[in-house]
Amino acid sequence: MIRRTLLAFALLTAALPTQAQQAPADVLPLIDAHLHYSHDAWDYLPTAEAIAILRKSNLRKVLVSSSSDDGTQKLYEAAPDLIVPELRPYRRRGELSSWMRDDSIITHLEARLAKYRYVGIGEFHLYGADADLPVPKRMVALAKQHKLFLHAHSDAEAVRRLFVHDPDAIVLWAHSGFDRPDAVRDMLKRYPNLWADLAFRSDHASDGKVDAEWRKLFEEFPDRFMVGTDTFTPERWHYIEEHAKWSRAWLASLPRPLAEKIAYKNAEALFARTSYKVDR
Amino acid sequence: MKALVAAAGLLVSSAAGAVDFDATQTRRILGHGAWPPAQMQTQTADRTNRYSGNVDAIRLGAMLFGEPRLSGNGALSCQTCHRPEHGWSEPKARSEGLQRQDRNAPGLLNVRLQRWFGWDGANDSLWAAGIRPIVKDTEMGGSAAATAKLLREDAPLACLARRVEPAYAAMDDEAALVLAAKALAAFQETLSSPRTAFDEFRDALAANDRAGMARYPEAAQRGLALFTGRGQCGACHTGANFSNGEFHDTGLVFFLNDPDRKPGTPRRVDPGRHDGIAQLKAAANPFNLLGRYNDDPGGVASIPVRHVVQQHRNWGEFKVPSLRSLPATAPYMHDGSKATLRDVILHYSELDEDRLHSDGEAILKPLKLSEAEIADLQAFLESLSAPDDTAARYESLRREAAQCR
Repeated sequence: MIRRTLLAFALLTAALPTQAQQAPADVLPLIDAHLHYSHDAWDYLPTAEAIAILRKSNLRKVLVSSSSDDGTQKLYEAAPDLIVPELRPYRRRGELSSWMRDDSIITHLEARLAKYRYVGIGEFHLYGADADLPVPKRMVALAKQHKLFLHAHSDAEAVRRLFVHDPDAIVLWAHSGFDRPDAVRDMLKRYPNLWADLAFRSDHASDGKVDAEWRKLFEEFPDRFMVGTDTFTPERWHYIEEHAKWSRAWLASLPRPLAEKIAYKNAEALFARTSYKVDR
Repeated sequence: MKALVAAAGLLVSSAAGAVDFDATQTRRILGHGAWPPAQMQTQTADRTNRYSGNVDAIRLGAMLFGEPRLSGNGALSCQTCHRPEHGWSEPKARSEGLQRQDRNAPGLLNVRLQRWFGWDGANDSLWAAGIRPIVKDTEMGGSAAATAKLLREDAPLACLARRVEPAYAAMDDEAALVLAAKALAAFQETLSSPRTAFDEFRDALAANDRAGMARYPEAAQRGLALFTGRGQCGACHTGANFSNGEFHDTGLVFFLNDPDRKPGTPRRVDPGRHDGIAQLKAAANPFNLLGRYNDDPGGVASIPVRHVVQQHRNWGEFKVPSLRSLPATAPYMHDGSKATLRDVILHYSELDEDRLHSDGEAILKPLKLSEAEIADLQAFLESLSAPDDTAARYESLRREAAQCR
C-alpha cells in the first residue's frame, strides 16, 4: 500500500508537467472562440504544430485573430475546416493601446477585408469614451457594411457606445468585460445582439462545478455564452488542450442542451449571423 | 533643511543632499522590516512538523542534507544543487539531478518564511518540499525504503533518529521518509540571512536617526527610491523578506531553453504555478497539509491548500522570490535565464507589455531606466545582502551530529 502510494506520487510528479491525456472519442464538441496566432508565435510554434494542438484538443472550430493577420491566414490556409478567421485592427503586436488613434488602421482594415474573408473584426481593446473616436466609429461602419460582428475587449461603457454607433451591431464581448455576473446580466438584457465569451476568466467554474451566480446567468441567457482560451503569448498554445479539458469538465455539470449551446452551438449561431460562410 | 517627520507625512530627507522619500515611500520602507522578523527571532515552531526546533532533528537534518545515500545512484544529495557557498542555490542555470531539471535551484536562506515551496508552490510545507526531490526519478531517484534503511543502519543517523523519535525503528518506510523530510526541514529552518546595510538604514529611519541614515550609500538610497516609487517593486516584493510568497507572470518567456531538443520536435513549456497546484491537490499526494502526516491537522497552516484553486492566469506563473542575499544565488529567475542582477533589472526596464494580459499583471510597466538608474537599483539590491555564517554553522552541526552514538 505504502509502496503503491509512493509510486503513484512519484509518477504524479513525473507526469504532470507533460501534456494532458488523450480525450476519449465521445467528448463534447467545443468551439474555442478566443485564440491568437501572432508573429512571435510563428517561430516557437510552426503552423503544423499549432494545428496539431487544435486537432489533439478535439476542437470543432476555433475563432482566430492575430497580430499580424498573416498568422490567422497561415492557420486558415493549413486548416480551413477548423479555422474561423477574424480581423484585428492591429498590424503587429504593440498596437493594442494606440490603434484607436491611428487613421492608417482603417486603410489596413479595408485592404484586408477586400482580400480575405472574415467572420468578425477583433479582438480589439477599447475602453470608455475611446469608442467614440473616429477610427473605432469607422470600424463599426465597416463591420456593418461587411455584415461582421465586433469582438470587443472592452468595459461596459465602450460596448454601450459601440451600440450607439450601430444599434444593429453584433458584438462578442471578450472576457465578458471581466465584469461581475449581475453586470453581465444587465448588458445581455439591454442588448439582444450582445454575445459573451468567457476567455481567461476562472470565476465562473472550478473543480468541474459552475458557480451558482453564473449558473443562473447561463440558464437565463442560454444562447449567448461561449468559451475561449486566449493565447496572448505563444506559450499559451500549450494550454489550449488543458483549457478544453477544463471547459468540458464544468460544462458536464450543466444539462446537456445548455452545455452544448455554450460549448459550440452559440458560436455557430453567432457565425451564422454574419456574411461569413463557415467551411465544412 | 527638510525636517524628518515621517509620521506627519512630510517629505523625508534621509541625509543632507541625499534622497527625499515622500510619506508613502517612507511607509513602504518601514514595511520592509524589522529584520530579523519576530517569527525568526523567537524560532516559532512549524506546528505541522513535530520536530521543528528540535535540536537533534536539526542535527539529523544537517547530516541528511549532505547525504548522497539518499539518492538512487549514491552520488547526489540536497547539497549538490543547494550549495552553502552560493546562498544554498547553485551557479548552474538549471540544476542537474539524475537528469537536467527545468528550473534553477532556489536559494534556501529564510525559507521558513514561505507559505508555498518551490518555484511552482507544489508543496505547502517545507518538509513535504524535501520529499519531492528525494523520490522523483529525474532528481535524486531515491526511495522511502532506501531512506528508512539508511536511518536504521547508519550509526550516527540511527542515533539521531532514535533521539528524535524513539520508536522510529517501528515506522513503515513512508513514515520514515517523512521523519527524514521533517528533520531536513528542521535544519533548513535555521538558515537565515543576517542584517544588512538596508536594515540599518530602515531602523535608523524608524528611529529618526539621521547619522545612521547617512551611513547608507547614496546610490542604494536612490535605488530604494526607485524601488518604493516609480518601480512599484514592493507591490510583489513585500515585507521584511521582500516577497509576498505568491505567484506572478512577469512577462518572461517560459518555453524551456532545451539544448537537448531534437529538431522538429515541439518545444516544451514550464506551466509553473498551474502545475504546482495540480500536484499539490492531487488525490495521490499524501504529503500535503490535508494529509495524515500534518502534525497540526485542522490548523491554520492547512487553510491555503483547502482553498487554492487553479486559475487560467496560473499558467506560466512563478513564485516571487525574496530579494535578500541575492548576489550569491546567481543566476536568477525560475529558469536561471538571467545571469546577473543587471539582466534582471533590464528585464523590468524593457518589459514586453504584449506578453502580459491586459487584465492580468496591470502593475507591470516597462520602467525605461537610465544607465544611472539601473546602477542605483542594483546598488540597492546588493545592499540587501551581507556575509552570512550559515555554511560554517552547517559544518559545525554536521560535526556534532557525527559524534552521536
